[in-house]
Amino acid sequence: MTETAPVILLVEDNPRDAELTMLALEQGEIIRDVVLAGDGAEALALLHGEDGVCMPHPPRLVLLDLKLPKIDGIEVLERIRAEERTALLPVVVLSTSAEDRDVQACYERHVNSYVQESVDFMAFRAAIRAIGEYWLALNIGPNAERY
Amino acid sequence: MTLMDDSSMAAGNWQPNLEDVGFGSLFDLLPDGVIVVGRDGRIIISNPASTEMFGYSHDELAGAPVDGLLPELLRDGHSSHRARFHHDPKTRPMGVGRELFGKHRDGSEFPVEISLSPLTNEGRMLVTAIIRDISDRKANELKLRQTAESLEQRSVQLEAANRELGSFTYSVSHDLRAPLRGIDGFSQALIEDCDDVLDKRGKRYLRHVRESAQEMGNLIDDLLQLSRMTRGELRRTETNLSDLVRDVARSLEASDPDRNVEWQIDECALVLADERLLRIALENLIGNAWKFTGNREHARIRFGERCRHDKSEYFVEDNGAGFDMAYVHKLFGPFQRLHATTEFEGTGIGLATVQRIVHRHGGQVWAEGVVDEGATFAFTLDGQAD
Repeated sequence: MTETAPVILLVEDNPRDAELTMLALEQGEIIRDVVLAGDGAEALALLHGEDGVCMPHPPRLVLLDLKLPKIDGIEVLERIRAEERTALLPVVVLSTSAEDRDVQACYERHVNSYVQESVDFMAFRAAIRAIGEYWLALNIGPNAERY
Repeated sequence: MTLMDDSSMAAGNWQPNLEDVGFGSLFDLLPDGVIVVGRDGRIIISNPASTEMFGYSHDELAGAPVDGLLPELLRDGHSSHRARFHHDPKTRPMGVGRELFGKHRDGSEFPVEISLSPLTNEGRMLVTAIIRDISDRKANELKLRQTAESLEQRSVQLEAANRELGSFTYSVSHDLRAPLRGIDGFSQALIEDCDDVLDKRGKRYLRHVRESAQEMGNLIDDLLQLSRMTRGELRRTETNLSDLVRDVARSLEASDPDRNVEWQIDECALVLADERLLRIALENLIGNAWKFTGNREHARIRFGERCRHDKSEYFVEDNGAGFDMAYVHKLFGPFQRLHATTEFEGTGIGLATVQRIVHRHGGQVWAEGVVDEGATFAFTLDGQAD
């Protein structure tokens, strides 16, 4: 993986929510390179698409919203796990929902972490900072050469 | 209409003397019809219940072919049945085999059950048929079936309504919280990033915007929790309420180590209840006691069990702010508050949640209070669960 490789793929259809997450990432000083996918189909094209569409290197972390148009977050997660290139990719679900069935469905598809987006922005920012520090600094990810 | 034919009288000349064996009155009083039939298929004797059932007199029945008591459609088959029975006479108990029907003199047909027993008398093989009119039972069965079907239909409709409610709360959870995050987040961004163009007052207003958004977020979360109490199956296991109360007390102590509360937690018998739900109920009740004793120098909270009207009831008692009994009816309604938010915080959903949990366990919950002296909340858990 090169130094300039995008670090985070953020999958979020609502531009305001995306901006909030970006804001939290910036202020948490963990943002380096974030690629934004506006829906599930776009996220899958970035991960599994043809040359020119696909990201040159897989991201180190996917931040995935659940409620997405076209292909929803659960299915995106399923397809990430089904594809060998991305089967081990760390995926953290960010959702306003903490419904049992959503949480359960994500873990059944081997999500790495599930975080509820708090209404309180301060709490949300703290959560994003913790996610960034853990997944991008502390955690040792799967071997990128595999991709 | 008559059952007689030309040869009827020939078979009707034999009469067993039932009085001699002491069965006469039994024969007359039996609620079931009894008919004794000869080998030729003609009726020899009949009891009052059978004459009543078919609408003929004893004399009309005596010597008449028994096939005449059957609906036309079944007569042909019946003669071969009789032949088989004579060939291999075995007692056939009631209610075994096909559905049978009798035919009344007035032409109406009615469902019957028949038991057959061979009877040998003076070297002749006779057949005793005991006939029971099961019209009432069939009608009841039909009614029962219809009731079951309409209940089934109701439960399908209820399930659909419940599912609808489930998806409603789901979209509440997701769709209502999302815009609130925007309101709160961008207000904070304004306060932080546009510091130079906002004066003190502007920042204060923005803080109010954020507080309002968060308050609504809490309301939504509480509503969701309340709705979760009605969904899902009740999983009853042996539950130790005293242990649950001790857990709750410990986490409250940890949340505010400066508070000094005197706990009295009695040892209660195990109950059969959904532990997860009971924990939430006790968190609310004990949490309230904790909250409303916040101003007390010597706060006391007690949990115990007592027996009233042969039923166990559990109670949480505190010496806190209490409440005016005039408003006791409002206590368990969602979003009802008896104290100003500035005095004690909360959304007013806690007791509604408690009530729903207790009701799901087939119990009752009630409260007693005196302003400035304290409150007692008591509940039962027995009875039929829903």
